[in-house]
This record gives sequence, structure tokens and C-alpha cells, in this order.
Amino acid sequence: MWLARLRYVFNRVLHGLPIIFAIVIVNFFLVRLAPGDAAQVLAGESGAATEEYMRQIREQFGLDQPLYVQFLSYMKNLLFFDLGYSFRHGREVSSLIFERLGATALLMGASMVLSVGFGILLGAIAAIKDRTFLSNMIMILAIVSYATPLFWVGLMLIIVFSLNLGWFPTSGIATIGAPLGFWDSALDVAHHLVLPALSLSFFYMALYTRLMRASMLETLGQDFIKTAHAKGISEGQVVRKHALRNAIMPVLTMAGVQVSAMLGGSVIIESVFGWPGLGLLAFESLFARDLNLLLGIFFLSSILVVVTNAIVDVIYTIVDPRIQLRSNTRNG
Amino acid sequence: MFTMRRRALCKAVVASLASAAMLALPVSAEPKRGGTVVITSTPEPPILTNALSSAPVTNEVATKIFDGLLEYDMDLNPLPSLATSWEVSDDGKTVTFNLRDDVTWHDGEPFTSADVQFSLMEVVKSHHPRGNSNLGPLESIDTPDDHTAVFHLEHPYVPLMRALSSLEAPIIPRHIYEGTDFRNNPAVNDPIGTGPFKFVEWEKGNYIRLERNDDYWRDGMPYLDGIIFRFIADAATRAAGIESGEIDIATFGAINPVEMRRLETLPDISITPGGYEGITPMMLLELNNKRAPFDDKRVRQAVAYAIDRQFLTDRIWYGFGTPAVGPISSALEGSGAFTDEGVIDFTVEDRLDIARNLLDEAGYTPDENGVRMQIVHDVGPFGEDWRRMGEYIKQALSKVGIQVELRNRDYPTFVRKVHNEYDFDMTSSWYIGMADPTLGVQRNTWSETINPKVPYGNASRYDNPETDALWEAAQTEADPEKRNEIFHDLQRQLVEDSPLVWLMEMNLVAVNNDRVHNMITSPLGIRDGLYDMWVSE
Repeated sequence: MWLARLRYVFNRVLHGLPIIFAIVIVNFFLVRLAPGDAAQVLAGESGAATEEYMRQIREQFGLDQPLYVQFLSYMKNLLFFDLGYSFRHGREVSSLIFERLGATALLMGASMVLSVGFGILLGAIAAIKDRTFLSNMIMILAIVSYATPLFWVGLMLIIVFSLNLGWFPTSGIATIGAPLGFWDSALDVAHHLVLPALSLSFFYMALYTRLMRASMLETLGQDFIKTAHAKGISEGQVVRKHALRNAIMPVLTMAGVQVSAMLGGSVIIESVFGWPGLGLLAFESLFARDLNLLLGIFFLSSILVVVTNAIVDVIYTIVDPRIQLRSNTRNG
Repeated sequence: MFTMRRRALCKAVVASLASAAMLALPVSAEPKRGGTVVITSTPEPPILTNALSSAPVTNEVATKIFDGLLEYDMDLNPLPSLATSWEVSDDGKTVTFNLRDDVTWHDGEPFTSADVQFSLMEVVKSHHPRGNSNLGPLESIDTPDDHTAVFHLEHPYVPLMRALSSLEAPIIPRHIYEGTDFRNNPAVNDPIGTGPFKFVEWEKGNYIRLERNDDYWRDGMPYLDGIIFRFIADAATRAAGIESGEIDIATFGAINPVEMRRLETLPDISITPGGYEGITPMMLLELNNKRAPFDDKRVRQAVAYAIDRQFLTDRIWYGFGTPAVGPISSALEGSGAFTDEGVIDFTVEDRLDIARNLLDEAGYTPDENGVRMQIVHDVGPFGEDWRRMGEYIKQALSKVGIQVELRNRDYPTFVRKVHNEYDFDMTSSWYIGMADPTLGVQRNTWSETINPKVPYGNASRYDNPETDALWEAAQTEADPEKRNEIFHDLQRQLVEDSPLVWLMEMNLVAVNNDRVHNMITSPLGIRDGLYDMWVSE
């Protein structure tokens, strides 16, 4: 079974390759439609520049080459997983991205677990206790958090928990320059993680709560639940073993799709909390016209989405053993 | 030792003047060793070596790592730094610098005159964005011995002596850069200098950490153990960091002016005045002089009359500035380059009537809705305060019948449209005037700096043989008095012609926690080495 799952993921990723390739080509030309180039940004930031200085920058970055030459050399490099050189940061794109990937993965992972976990929990409670005060309160909370802009939630949490109560730092991922042991520094990062992860999960939690409630209500009304009740199985057993497992599927599907959306949401949260992640890097590189870096991040995100969706498919089979993994190569 | 005392004396005088003016300043105590200061700035710098870039934040970081030959007092007179003394020849074409003999680079190598020759001739002059204007006629540097550098100039060049700070002409190590491709040298982002602080690490998107240089040539300095520069994308979060005490200093622009005024009222947070006298930043409107309606001097003057500079300074920028008189900032009053005598005063009582008359004369009469003309104002892409200023300008110009459409573009698009394609009517912008008009102001109105390939030159394409001649005369004139007269003529004539509308001399002050002492001790403020900054707990 596990081998089959692994083979399935591998096949899915293989099929994703042409998609990723197409994305890379479209992206390459798309980002170049934006007017202005990195040399102009660098010179502009300097407040003054000589012609010599501009020429040097363009030459160094290959911006003086015709577009097709730039494209060919980019594709050639990509074949060897060389994402090129960042104009602005003066470093390899791949090392820049991998350095920042950890911070984003931590933030997204924590938010994912929080939002899916609490979403399922609150949604299930709202469905089971439907038309009660508790259920109404949960749904109101869901609507409010769904309608509140991310940056505002972040700022409010900072004002309440950092400035007024002083429980958490306002920003950053760790205390700078403090030599700490492994556990102390893990604790330090966790301390910094609380507010950004809460803010980012707020919006998604609302979404999953609503989805879970609807799905749970539908499942609870189905015949096999009535049968289970008729067999004399306890209420708790029915909910946990029969209803929950079935109702959870749409939430998982949605969560899989939203990994990429969360990357977008993390741009806002990362900028509000000064979280040194990938979202922020993408945002800055767009305004600096740091095209290689931007393309590298797009490339990584497209891989991320393909892989996550394959993984979500596998999780289906764990939650619901009736679902079979089929690679369309063999079975069409 | 002599030079040390001179600097200290000068600072004492400045400090006492400042406290006399302020009265509110806390009684200055004895400096204390130790402690780390956290500074926030924005955006994150592209590189860390300011010999190759003059991006503002690159300067803020690199001036702690590198030294210049000279420093400056608040009146912009040179003080010793890596150079202990200097002598200008009678014809003004040779300058001899005697250098310190006790300076080592952060990697332990000795500092010599060869480093000076290499830094200025090979690197700064050709690679620094302002290198050409700063070092213009510098033809060669002789190094008769390890601690003497003799500058040979094509003609006398007074501004040279105002451009040798660690901000504009940092000295970088020859033994690391020679024979390499400068921009791709790893030392660009792992800098080795002679300055008070050593580079430790740069965590991209997060912070840069500097630590005390224990072998710094100023005995007992720096006082701080280290400096951390933090980069946080959101302005509100930066303000929260100052408020919570996690951040000690926020540079101007890192926090919105309205927030600065709020933070200032908190018990342990202040705004220390000064620290930009050597930079003289100026806010202005650039007008496209080559197409209608701004090809007509009367229309340009009408715009200059229509804007209430005092309102703009007080309400849009919360008092962080002084209404501008003309291109040359009143901050240069000390050196004598500034004048307002005989300069058109746009702040007169009946300024709106004058503006309307000028527009009538130019043939732009109002239609039935009172509209004389429609223009597009490209708002400078420097933040939300600039958009607010755009809205004010729209309102102010509507009073004289000029209907303004506001357009916001992102930075690269803005630069291309305005500075490369000249496709604009009016934009808002700012420039760094530096310590001498030839260094900073000249490029905005000199016809030689009209060049679509180079942004932030003369975007208005103002081209006037008379003012050109004056700019060129100021470059070669050796007598400071005569030079100042040239600048006074320029001030009068440029304001008369109004190719640009100079709005406000900007006060680039920083917000700081009161535990920080000696915030501003030089005309470069926190863009200087900070070796005398200290903190109390």
C-alpha cells in the first residue's frame, strides 16, 4: 500500500513537469512586460547615476542582451537547476530562496495545522450543536474573521499582545545576536511565531469552519448515519467514526488547493510581522524588478502546488480507504 | 592627540549650541562603554559597500564600516579622519594629504596611501553614482610614501574638500579589490573596512549585525559593542517596535511623519534635531519644460505661486521641513552659498491672483467650469505621504484653474516614464543637495545632465545657456566668495525661470529611544560612523 502511494506521488509529479515547464515559459515573458529594469531601480535608489554606472550594471546582469538570448540561457541554466543570480541581492537565487524557505514553511505549516485543526473542530461542533447559542457564536466568529483584512488582524494582535500586554515580540523570527542553546532558541522562535501564525490562520480557520459545518450537516442527514443510530451505536461513536471521516474530505481538498493561496496571504503577514520568509522576498523582488529571483520563487511555488496536491490525494486514501490511487498512465 | 581634541572640542561646541537651542535636552552624562543599538531602516540595502552604490540604506550601514579621508563639522568645514592634515597649493590644483600611520583594516592588514589612490581613482570616481561630480577634475593621486597622498586636479575644485566623507568617498581595501571584478567581489557584501564597526552577518530580509572594532584607531572608541540594522516591511510594525523598546532608532522614512509625532509624545522617545546638514535634501515638483503647458515660464511660475509651502510643510509633512526658497537650501547658509535676496517670493499675500494673471497672460483662460488646463501629476512613488501631497497639490492648483489628474505608478515604471521617456507633465520628487550646490543641485538644471540613459539627472530638460555658464563657472572658481556670488545668481535666475518648483527643505530626522546618547554629532547624523554614540540602561 505504501509503495503504491509512493509510486503514485512520483507519477503525479512526473505529470506535473510539463505544467511546470509551461509555467516557467509564460512567467519568463510575463515578468518582462513590466516597464523598467533592475538597473534603473538600482540607479534610482542611488538618487543619481553616471552612464558608465548604468552600463556596468546592465552588462553584469546580461540585461543588454536580446530577449531570446536571455531566454535561452535561462532555460539552459534551469535544466541544471541553476536558478540564476539575483540582480539586487548579488547572490545565487537558489541559496536565497532556500535560506528563506524554512521561515515560510514554518509559518505556513503552523498556520495550516491551526486553521485546519480548529476549523474542523469548530465546524463539527457547530454542526452537531446546530441551532444552539454555541453554534451561532461559532458562525458569527467565523464570519467576522473571514471578513477582517489580514493586515488589520496582525496589527491588532501586535497592539494588544505586544504593546499593551507585552507577552510577545512585535516582529522578527528570533532574538538577534543572542547565543542560545538548541531548545532555548527553538522556544525563542516559537515565541516569535505565535502572533504571525495566529493571524494567518484566522482567515483560513473561518473558511474551514464554514465548510466543515456544511459538510458535517449534510453527512449527519444521510441514511448510513441513521442506520448507525438504529444499530444502537453511541452518539460519540457515530460522530467520530462515521460522520467526521466522511465530512472531512471537502476541507482537505480545500486545504490542498489553498497552499498556494496561503503563500499569497503570507506576503501580508510576513510584511506586518517582519517575518523573513519567501512571500516578502517575492514582493520586494517584484518592485526591484529582480526578475531572476521572482522567476525562481514562481518556479518553486509551482512545484510546491503540484507536490502538495499529490500529497493531499494520498491523505484521502488514508482518511477514506475506499478511495483508490490510480495513475492515469496505466488505467487511463 | 591634537586632532582628537579638535574634534571633541568642536562637538562640545555643537552640543552646547544644540542644548542652548533646545533647553529640553537631558543633561549629558559621561559616555559609557557597552550595549547594542538596534536601528530600523527601509528598504533593505542592495549591497553593503557604498563605494559602489549610494542607495540611502547602503550608506547608513557602510559608513560604520568604512572611513573617509575627512569628516565635517556642522558648518561643513573639514575635520581630520584618515587624513590628519592637508595642504592646498596656491593654484588650487594640488592637495597634499598626510595620513594616519596607526590604522589597520578589519582583516589586520595595514592601511596605506595606496588604498587611498586605489579607492578614489579606480573605484569611487568611475563606480560611485556621484563619483564623477564629487571627484570631477581629479586626474591622479601620487603616493610618495605610505602615509602621504598627493591629489592632482585639472583645475581648482572647491567642492572636492566637501566630498571626502565616508558617505561620499569611502576608502576601501586595495589588497582585497585590486584586479577583481569589483561588483562581483564577495567583499561587496562581506565588507572589510577601517571603521569603528566590523561586519558580522547579514540575514537577508531580517537584519545586519555589526560588532565593535576593538582595534579602531580612535582610542577608547566606539562606545557601543555593536549595531543591529533591522528590516521590517510594514511601517506600522516598525513604529510598534520603537514603542515597545525593541528598536532604538528609526531613520526618517521608516516611520510615517504622523506616527513620528505620536511617538514623540511618549515618555522615553524623542526626535533629535539635525543630522542632515551635509545632505541638504530638497523636495520639489519636476515640470516637463519641453512640452505644453510647462514650456511657458508664466505657467511654471503660476504653479509655484499656487502652492502654499507653509501649509504643505505643516499639514502634509507634520513640520518635518522648512518651506523652500529656491534650489539652494538654506542649510547652506553657513558656507554662504544660500541667499534669498532678490529671489522671487512665492509666498506673498496675493499669490493666487498673481498666478491667475500669469495664466491669463499665457493665454490659458478659464472655460465655463473655471478650468484653464488639464494636466497629469505622476506622484513620486516614495510612500503614502507623497500620495497625500499629490492630493493637496491637486486641490491647490484647482484654485487657479489647473485641473490635475493624479497617477500612481510603481517605482521602476515611474523611473522609466519620467527619466527615460520623459513622458510626464509634472512629478513630485526629492534630491540630495549634498554639502555644495555643484555636487548635488547642479544636476537638476544643468543641460549637460540631460541624459535619458541616466535617471535622476535633469528630467525637466531645462536648457538655458546663461545658467549653464554659471554652473560651469562655479566648478572652476577657486575663490569661495566669488563662488558664493555665482550661487546667489543661480538661485535668483533659476527661481525666476522656475523650471522646477522647489517646495520644502526636508528635515531627515530620526526617532530614537532616550537611552541613546550622542544621536547627532555630525552633519551626516546617523549616516556617520556613530563611534561616539553610547547607551544608558
